[in-house]
Amino acid sequence: MKFEDVAVLGVGMVRFGAHKDRSAAQLAREAGLRALADAGLSFRDVGEAFVGYIAPIQMLGIKVMKEFGLTGLPVTHVENASATGLIAFREAAHAVASGRCDVAMALGLDKMTELARGGRGGRGIGRDTIDSVILPAAYFALWAMRRMHERGTRPEHFAKIAAKNWNHGARNPLADRQSDHEVTAEEVLASYPVAEPLTAMMACPVDDGAACVIVGRRELARQLQPGRAVVRPVASALQTETYTPGHTFLGPVVGPASMTRDTAREAYEAAGVDPADVSLALVHDAFANEELEYYELLDFCPEGDAEKLVEDGATRIGGRIPFNTDGGLIARGHPGGPTGLAQVHEIVLQLRHEAGPRQVENARIGLAHLVGGGSVCTVNLFERD
Amino acid sequence: MGAARRVPIEAGFFTIPEARGEPPRLLGSRCRSCGEHFFPRRAICARCLSDDTEDTRLGPRGTLYTYTYVHVPMFGARRAESGGYGVGQVDLPEGPRVQAVLSGGPGDFRIGMPMELDLETLRENRDGEEVVIFRFRPLDAAST
Ligand SMILES: [Zn+2]
Repeated sequence: MKFEDVAVLGVGMVRFGAHKDRSAAQLAREAGLRALADAGLSFRDVGEAFVGYIAPIQMLGIKVMKEFGLTGLPVTHVENASATGLIAFREAAHAVASGRCDVAMALGLDKMTELARGGRGGRGIGRDTIDSVILPAAYFALWAMRRMHERGTRPEHFAKIAAKNWNHGARNPLADRQSDHEVTAEEVLASYPVAEPLTAMMACPVDDGAACVIVGRRELARQLQPGRAVVRPVASALQTETYTPGHTFLGPVVGPASMTRDTAREAYEAAGVDPADVSLALVHDAFANEELEYYELLDFCPEGDAEKLVEDGATRIGGRIPFNTDGGLIARGHPGGPTGLAQVHEIVLQLRHEAGPRQVENARIGLAHLVGGGSVCTVNLFERD
Repeated sequence: MGAARRVPIEAGFFTIPEARGEPPRLLGSRCRSCGEHFFPRRAICARCLSDDTEDTRLGPRGTLYTYTYVHVPMFGARRAESGGYGVGQVDLPEGPRVQAVLSGGPGDFRIGMPMELDLETLRENRDGEEVVIFRFRPLDAAST
């Protein structure tokens, strides 16, 4: 579907982290009200809502929406594991693009600190299933070990990416991790081992949070906030796995790496965007080695050159193609449902040129990528009008 | 103890040979239309979508495609209580790539090495049966 007449009207989020004394509903209300204020709208203007979370709690989203008032609007739950927030956004954009409503809300909320403690035991988490011990860390470590074998990649490359994202996070007041000093690759390598070759500082934290994006008809953007740059979605691609030889059915968290390449190509083609024209990318860096793979899979460099991008600092703010300018999952945090909407939040600030100390110069096109267990991949492109 | 009956952690994934020390086989499927093999079993071929599939036994040997050694026990927890464990992906000669826990210590694995299926006892259930799961172990370490 074409998004020509759709714009992002407002974005809002709470800082990600451990919010022990606040409920998911309270966090969601705060994020939603911030997005509405940013848009210059009231909740009465919202025609449809999509609520994304990965906590296994039925009806949570509809209950949370009552925090804003009872206006009778249609509400739909969205869940696609780590990709949930971007899929809630995608559905909201489609609701507007199809003419179903003028204004739609995508809201993500989760308390992963409670999920991690509670151990509700979905497949892959509980003890008594055949694939129960295969953790996300193990799966991404398997990628890393194979990469090192094939390309001569060193743990230092992964550590440099992690340090970059920690240091980006320090420039973002809404990031969970805000280091008081410049994080070094040596420090990342010295943190405790999670799964060879990954260390704790190469992994995202366990977070609570909420984030919200309001989308609406394009002309509303100028009417509501005259004088502000308009940011529009130009493509949203979503794919599941395509069978390839060597496909691993039992245990893996996400499918073959080619899923990201296929999904990105679909998005570039739909938007008519060349990867060389992208100003910044937000990707699923639950583990630092993933980001390295995505440099190639998103077509920002030829196969085998990702290590060179790390060595040249090309993906830092100020580099050729900055990645995870808000700290990424590693530093901004990864509460689950809200994560993708935090990516949209960052891209919108960057494309409006409102990102302050982490602003990417002349940012015009932003890319948001997530993979989700099961598995799915989504690539979304945004342009400054 | 040695005479206890062995039962799988989940039925339908692997065989349990009568003789201890004999490797198990994986229960997979073969597509009669295109010849592709799968683990675990499936009714519809993932490649050509034919529903003409048949049960087949896979393994017990393969080649280590990639591995890691895990130091955290479960999602959200920080450290393994008992030293961690290996996880790997093993390419079977029939085609499937199988992800499983590996038997051995942190220094025991290298990509490309031959691996063999093995059974590991996880615990005893209420009926006094041993609950087992399949693992892969380096072939050099087999039959010791
Ligand atoms: Zn077939």
